[in-house]
Amino acid sequence: MTVSVQLHPELRKWVEERLSRYPTRRSLLVPTLMQAQKYHDYASPGLMQAVAALLDVPESEVMSVASFYTLIAKHPVGRHIVQVCHNVSCYLRGCDEVIAQLEERLGCKVGETTEDGKFTLITVECLAACGSAPVMMVDEKLYENVTPEQIDRILAEAD
Amino acid sequence: MTELTKVVMRLDGVADAHRLDVYEANGGYSALRKALGEMKPQEVIDEVKASGLRGKGGAGFPAGLKWSFVPQDHPGPKYLACNADEGEPGTFKDRWIIENNPHEMIEGCIICAYAVGLSHIYVYCRGEFYEGKRKIEQAAKEAYAKGYLGENILGSGFSTHLTVHTGAGSYECGEETALLTSMEGGRGHPKIKPPFPASEGAWRKPTVINNVETLATVPAVITQGAQWHAGMGTEKSKGVKMVCVSGHVERPGIYEVEFGVPASGIINDLAGGVWKGRQLKGYFPGGSSTPVLPAEKADVLYDYESIAEAGSMLGSGALIAFDNETDVVRMAEVITRFYAWESCGKCTPCREGTRWMLQIYERILNGGGRMDDLELLLSICNNLEFKSFCPFGDAAVGVVRSTINLYRDEYEEYIREHKVYRRRFVPVKH
Ligand SMILES: Cc1cc2nc3c(=O)[nH]c(=O)nc-3n(C[C@H](O)[C@H](O)[C@H](O)COP(=O)(O)O)c2cc1C
Ligand code: SF4
Ligand code: FES
Repeated sequence: MTVSVQLHPELRKWVEERLSRYPTRRSLLVPTLMQAQKYHDYASPGLMQAVAALLDVPESEVMSVASFYTLIAKHPVGRHIVQVCHNVSCYLRGCDEVIAQLEERLGCKVGETTEDGKFTLITVECLAACGSAPVMMVDEKLYENVTPEQIDRILAEAD
Repeated sequence: MTELTKVVMRLDGVADAHRLDVYEANGGYSALRKALGEMKPQEVIDEVKASGLRGKGGAGFPAGLKWSFVPQDHPGPKYLACNADEGEPGTFKDRWIIENNPHEMIEGCIICAYAVGLSHIYVYCRGEFYEGKRKIEQAAKEAYAKGYLGENILGSGFSTHLTVHTGAGSYECGEETALLTSMEGGRGHPKIKPPFPASEGAWRKPTVINNVETLATVPAVITQGAQWHAGMGTEKSKGVKMVCVSGHVERPGIYEVEFGVPASGIINDLAGGVWKGRQLKGYFPGGSSTPVLPAEKADVLYDYESIAEAGSMLGSGALIAFDNETDVVRMAEVITRFYAWESCGKCTPCREGTRWMLQIYERILNGGGRMDDLELLLSICNNLEFKSFCPFGDAAVGVVRSTINLYRDEYEEYIREHKVYRRRFVPVKH
């Protein structure tokens, strides 16, 4: 059974402030699911139900839309998301070594979350920072020209 | 010596150029004042047409012509979607504009909105551009406060609004009609054309879609004039391009040049040449979607026509160079995985074809390839190209076909010797 979720009041406020900028409520669906992750752990079925009601979109369509976008977490994730680019320009400048080092230091594989629930490690497509490849992000912060030696310091920066 | 021609990047190096006061102190918003104060909307369109400005998002479509397709007498709202989804691997110029000079883009958006009569500007920004979204939102706030956005802009009677709209991690949402579907709250699936967005776009209203760089070039065209812009570049590729150089060069970065300089000049003079004293093996002239050109074709002139003649495309202007030690098969696998995983799934040739190609690459790299896999890959390419619903399918075949044609011996070596690529990690789709 789906556990129902109360949307965070800040999220409701965020949505209400933006509705007048669009001709339909539904237009805010993707931004709302993105913003929801600031207040809720992930896009759980209950959260999607609540968003469906708020934006007047069928629940099944909210789930369909959420499942399309990689930045919308459909499963529980760690407190910090580590995204490493594995696309071509980063590959050419050694991202594979960076990713291997991350797996080693975090003690989990790509796609997994560390045992203490602190980090989820994923590889992602081009982050539009190929001029400073290889690159990675921890949450909203971009790290450029990353070397395996820098990994410990970068991870330590996340509280 | 290949030289830089800074137009969109004219404020490169100026501290705090993202702030309105700094932008204005450097001539910012004078183009908007000129357009609103001295020009009729049609004159703005004519000026942009005469300048020869072409879209910088990939297709190179003439911007003024696109604007003129929007029906002037259409009742009700019309929209501008500024494409800041920047997802083409190798491309990182729009991020620079948004983070360093967002007002240049916003000013271009407002001028476009005035010329075409658009009531709302949506800047569709890829989800990962957290810093960029903050910068545009802050810049828009400043512009509203100064009366450059909102009702009755600078007393002209013209009104338009600007909203930053976030994506959520999808390459296909950069395709213009998929972008619209996403903005309407759907999965990022493209729409059938016709109707073209100019007559039926976002929420079925007339919509102009332009790339960030295209729009950020507009203020300079208005202040300095069509003739000035048309005087740069080549006969058919007029103006300048921010070329994103990445891969195996000494100084990767963005180099804004006139169209028509030699690609080798960009690689050697501007980007410092191939790194580590190695030789160039080949390069993608315009992003991962454009067929690879071999080192022997490094002298091709960097304009739409010359690169097309050489067998590739200028695309988004992302020049990715790779050296003679590159494992081309693995590189092609990286890119094929990207297309397989980012395919939106709407149409069968692309959804199935990209995955099938990825499976073949995986077995080749795992030492289990078969000699007829190469013909199989080429035949899948033929079944994708021009048979997919949107240009994504065509984009996915570029690297496969060009690398098999240029470096077939490397593929055959993997297959013949059952060579195994030693993976450092296993990518997982999420
Ligand atoms: C798969 C795919 C992805 C695209 N991604 C982008 C993008 O990230 N940014 C962009 O400006 N154009 C992108 N385009 C091109 C757009 O469809 C469209 O041509 C462009 O935004 C129009 O603007 P322009 O005429 O100013 O270039 C993409 C096209 C395809 C087929
Ligand atoms: S070619 Fe087809 S499956 Fe591929 S992205 Fe376009 S519509 Fe989607
Ligand atoms: S390929 Fe890694 S940021 Fe572009």
